[in-house]
Amino acid sequence: MKKVIYIFSDGELKRQDNTLKFHCEETNRFLPVEDISDIFVFGEVSFNKKLLELLSQKEILLHYFNYHGYYMGTFYPREHLNSGYMILKQAEFYQDKLKRLELAKAIITGALKNIRQVLKYYDNRGKELKSFLERIEEYEAQIDSCREITELMAVEGNARECYYQAFDIIIDNKDFVFEQRSRRPPKNHLNSLLSFGNSIIYTMVLSEIYKTHLDPRIGFLHSTNFRSFTLNLDIAEIFKPILVDRAIFTLLGKKMITKKDFEKNMEGIVLKDGAKRLFAEEIDGKLKTTIKHRELGREVSYRRLIRMELYKLEKHLMGEREYKPFVARW
Amino acid sequence: MNDKDLHVTGTLIWYYYICHREVWLMARHIVPEQDNPNVDVGRFIHEQAYQREKKEISLGNIKLDIIKRGQDGLVIAEVKKTSRFEKSSRMQLAYYLMEVEKLGLNAKGELRFPEERRVETVELTDALRRELEAAVKDILRIAYLEQPPEPVKIKFCKNCAYAEFCWS
Repeated sequence: MKKVIYIFSDGELKRQDNTLKFHCEETNRFLPVEDISDIFVFGEVSFNKKLLELLSQKEILLHYFNYHGYYMGTFYPREHLNSGYMILKQAEFYQDKLKRLELAKAIITGALKNIRQVLKYYDNRGKELKSFLERIEEYEAQIDSCREITELMAVEGNARECYYQAFDIIIDNKDFVFEQRSRRPPKNHLNSLLSFGNSIIYTMVLSEIYKTHLDPRIGFLHSTNFRSFTLNLDIAEIFKPILVDRAIFTLLGKKMITKKDFEKNMEGIVLKDGAKRLFAEEIDGKLKTTIKHRELGREVSYRRLIRMELYKLEKHLMGEREYKPFVARW
Repeated sequence: MNDKDLHVTGTLIWYYYICHREVWLMARHIVPEQDNPNVDVGRFIHEQAYQREKKEISLGNIKLDIIKRGQDGLVIAEVKKTSRFEKSSRMQLAYYLMEVEKLGLNAKGELRFPEERRVETVELTDALRRELEAAVKDILRIAYLEQPPEPVKIKFCKNCAYAEFCWS
């Protein structure tokens, strides 16, 4: 599979003949353009139209983040896969209240099941998480009776709050207590990690959507009206616990990231560059991990599982097979 | 879908002899994964092989890889990555010959496998004409099905760029 390039340094990204070159103070780095699917830019990087033209031609997405690590936007080359049929189906399922609700329920169910998988893993390793597992299961049972998306979002919100409380038991480190979920700006270290990791996953899912016939602007759980991209937020719900949260537990458990890796400024608590890099690498490593897929009969990476999740959604929209979210086995 | 929406192309004939599900998906422009290495190699061969000869001529609904004047009349050639899909390749080329014939042109067919350094000739016979007419009808029937034909595991699934879509 093609690679993801992360740029944390400052410099200039340019087209050189038919390939890419990243020029910064220390060195010149050539990036083989045929082998890249997307570029994440965290550093202060300048580029020009010639570069964007090459990226369009090679169908490479460029995601950029501001100084504080917040997702700012994506250079999304023109759609290269067009199927009028699929777009109409997607819109049809969005506009039909029942069809939309059904999909939103499936997504939340997947998210909560994966949350339980994460908790179960630590419960088996001696952390006392039984009561949390039970409570998440109760929330899961409430999903079915929801009649509105807003009701569903409330159940999900409550479940997530309960889940985040369990973080304190899993992490067990005074420097990284949960307190409450705070975004923009994150008010403590743990929240800052969560925001950073989640935004990487949102972006990664967006990249995978680009390679399907789905339109990223039409989500089912998150409403389409007030945002540009929403389908990526939906699908990310399913993968956040197993990719982002597990990466956080690993990094903190092994003390690879400590309190010293953060600084406080006007924008809240911000991760320093080195730690951002470590975190991105950890998530990238997870995305590259492969598991054996039974039906397909081959090894697939987590990244590819995200794509396959989108294929399942396409098949649901085509009326071929009901969408069942991916649930991790361990 | 309305009858005027769909034209049977050479690609659909090709897929018809491999997998009917592919016919349905292709007819709706649900194209296979573009980052599959086999799709990449196929595209590369298409772009690189026979650069000196005329390429990509559109005639009605069909697209010919190469059309040239041979020693005794027109020659239509189709370039393929591999000869593994024997039936599909022959039928696709025969379909082109039949379409060209409808325009009042007489041509001979050549299947070219640059990687294998091999050329095979194909001639349009009455038996092929009848078979193709039946295939066109059946392709239209498949394409207008409300839902795609169920996936069936066959030997071609192994390297198919739709595999992850079908088996996800």
